[in-house]
Amino acid sequence: MSFLKPKTHIEQGDIVILYLSVNSMHAIEAVPTIVNKKGETIQHIFQTNYGSLKVESIIGVEYGSRVELSKGWANVLQPTPELWTQTLPHRTQIIYTPDISMILHQLEVRPGAVVIESGTGSGSLSHYFLRALKPTGHLHTFDFHEARADQARDEFKRHGLAAFVTVYHRDVCNLGFSSELDGAADAVFLDLPAPDLAVPHAFKALKLSGGRFCSFSPCIEQSQRCIQELTKLGFNEICSMEVLQQESVIKTRSLPVIDLEFLKLPKTNETTAQTTPSAEESKTPKELKKYLTSSNPQTLPGHTGFLTFATLPPNIPKA
Amino acid sequence: MSTDGTTPNIQLGDYIVIQRQKYTKLQKFGSLDTTSTLGKETLELKSLLDQPYGSTFKMCVKETKTGKRGAQRQHTLELCSDTELRSTREVLGISSSGADNRDICDNGEAQALKSSDIEQLREACNESSKIIEKLVENSKTFHTRTEYSQEKYLLKKEKKYFEFVQIRQPTIRLMVDIFYRQDAEKIMGIRVDTLSQIISYSGVCGFGSYLLYESGTNGLLPAAMMNSIGAGTEGTLVHMHPGNVPQKQALLALKLPLEQQKRCVSVNLYSVLREFYQGNVAPSIDPTEVEAEETLPETPNEEQPEAVEPSTKKPKLDEAPLSGNNKGPLRWQIENKRASALMHGKFDSLVVAAKEHPSSILQALLPLVRPSRPVVVFSTCKELLQETYMELKTSGKVTALHVTSNWLRTYQILPNRTHPEVNMSGNSGYLLTGFTLK
Repeated sequence: MSFLKPKTHIEQGDIVILYLSVNSMHAIEAVPTIVNKKGETIQHIFQTNYGSLKVESIIGVEYGSRVELSKGWANVLQPTPELWTQTLPHRTQIIYTPDISMILHQLEVRPGAVVIESGTGSGSLSHYFLRALKPTGHLHTFDFHEARADQARDEFKRHGLAAFVTVYHRDVCNLGFSSELDGAADAVFLDLPAPDLAVPHAFKALKLSGGRFCSFSPCIEQSQRCIQELTKLGFNEICSMEVLQQESVIKTRSLPVIDLEFLKLPKTNETTAQTTPSAEESKTPKELKKYLTSSNPQTLPGHTGFLTFATLPPNIPKA
Repeated sequence: MSTDGTTPNIQLGDYIVIQRQKYTKLQKFGSLDTTSTLGKETLELKSLLDQPYGSTFKMCVKETKTGKRGAQRQHTLELCSDTELRSTREVLGISSSGADNRDICDNGEAQALKSSDIEQLREACNESSKIIEKLVENSKTFHTRTEYSQEKYLLKKEKKYFEFVQIRQPTIRLMVDIFYRQDAEKIMGIRVDTLSQIISYSGVCGFGSYLLYESGTNGLLPAAMMNSIGAGTEGTLVHMHPGNVPQKQALLALKLPLEQQKRCVSVNLYSVLREFYQGNVAPSIDPTEVEAEETLPETPNEEQPEAVEPSTKKPKLDEAPLSGNNKGPLRWQIENKRASALMHGKFDSLVVAAKEHPSSILQALLPLVRPSRPVVVFSTCKELLQETYMELKTSGKVTALHVTSNWLRTYQILPNRTHPEVNMSGNSGYLLTGFTLK
């Protein structure tokens, strides 16, 4: 239930983010027992690189606290869509925070908005939509894969979000969104292999007072076909973009400063008399300077997808 | 975008977005005499009253004055239907075009009409398509241009002579575009992608209590956060600023319902912290407190309407409605008390977008944030965030620290002519994000 609103203490059944380090965090369910592969109910012990955690022990603990592991410690955090996106069980490829933020901004999602999403996938984006539109809006999310739709529905329920979302198992490219949704949506989001096929359905689903449209596609050809379809139906403000986030790696570095000036002068008598060059170097201790530096990581996401946005202007007849 | 599916009408006192093709502008529709200037055109806004948002109006020339920089035209606006808007290519029925540009040379003789002829044409014709038709007729090279080049030519001319404007209701999306294009400095260089991420990383939504410190974004940040907090929810925002009066333009432009406006408590950073730490000492209505406050730099005082708002030269009278003079506590005192109460209850996230060094601000405000809550610090320079990153990391009070920036690239997507836009913005600014610990 830990996704509904900010809370202070871990309750049984909460999803909790176990934060070990920048590269290592896990989403765990705060339940004392789990059922193992053999069907037996056993104590819930979670294994990490820093040893094991008896999950029962974190129930009742304040979020943000430090918890002891058998070989170290970790912090427990309340999940946010950002943390969930980084820890959720992948059932499909997912969209990450930089793209999602732009999608929410461009679709103007706010409390009270009615949003249609297809496909649901792993529910990464759905959690963001739900945060933005609850408690007065509603998300209708569609996936053509039955098991995925069921899993997502179950997950939303466990996360305390069931009241704000309806999950449909439906092939929207061929069947469209259900007819009850005609003229009901403020915004439609598509992440489909052939978004152009669903554009006419999006057109029907948007309110008569107009609305916003977004399609996310990894390939530019998909965007091209989608835009042709959007233009045909009278959408305007069509715009495509790409958002890429770079991380800065910040470190304090100690750098040696080497002195090369002395090389311009002839060697003095005493040095020539007794030393080899290597001994000479060691005689003057190297100066060290401390710098706070920032650099980019070796590999960065170079492409995620093209975001195509459009507006359906008000009062376009849909018959 | 209204949530009930009806389009509201334009009212006096509203902020409106005037759009002419791709150009947009935020304008206050203060009175029936309000005019708005788009380049050389001046528009009388009178006829907008009570028309639905999203309507398109035709600019009808009322008079032409010769100004310093060519003719200044004054227009009235006439409501028109969307069917009047058609592609110029269709209207003109252009069919023939060349295969490439081998026969085209720039000798300055392509257009037979002189600029004085065009000016006359402009006054005589009310429709841009007629002017463009004449331009095309008198162009010696138009039909030898390629189809793409013709389209470009028409678009260019259409942009110049386009006679329609659309009136739209301000939203965060439209306003950040306008502000960033007009003067990015005024919103501290917060680009659209960065703004969208501030909203995400801060977790601001309909539940919870949020804290923002910003030193001047024309009200964009508090407006964006209030927009995400939403109408009819329980979320609250304490908006701290360094000046006498908060900058609120974007917030006012959103025209939020009163109950939602009330959940945004705008307070001066110095005076609210004083209230928070020492408030119980002084009785609330004591006039001596005002005197004491006046010794502080940049605190609000009784003469709020006279105070200089940092962004605009003139004070805006309608932005400082004070509760009756000398009767009861002043409005800023009440706001300080409300903010102070929320501060005692602690916050569910902290957003800082400061022109000052963020370090001391974080030191003062971080203790007001509950554990396991997001912290987002914006800066245009990485160096400030580097230092702050190290301080927070060493303190052990904030974890999952990241410093990030963005690339934002827009694309022209047309059949056979797809490529990234020629220009892109090079500075997204930087975000420092993390989560508080117990």
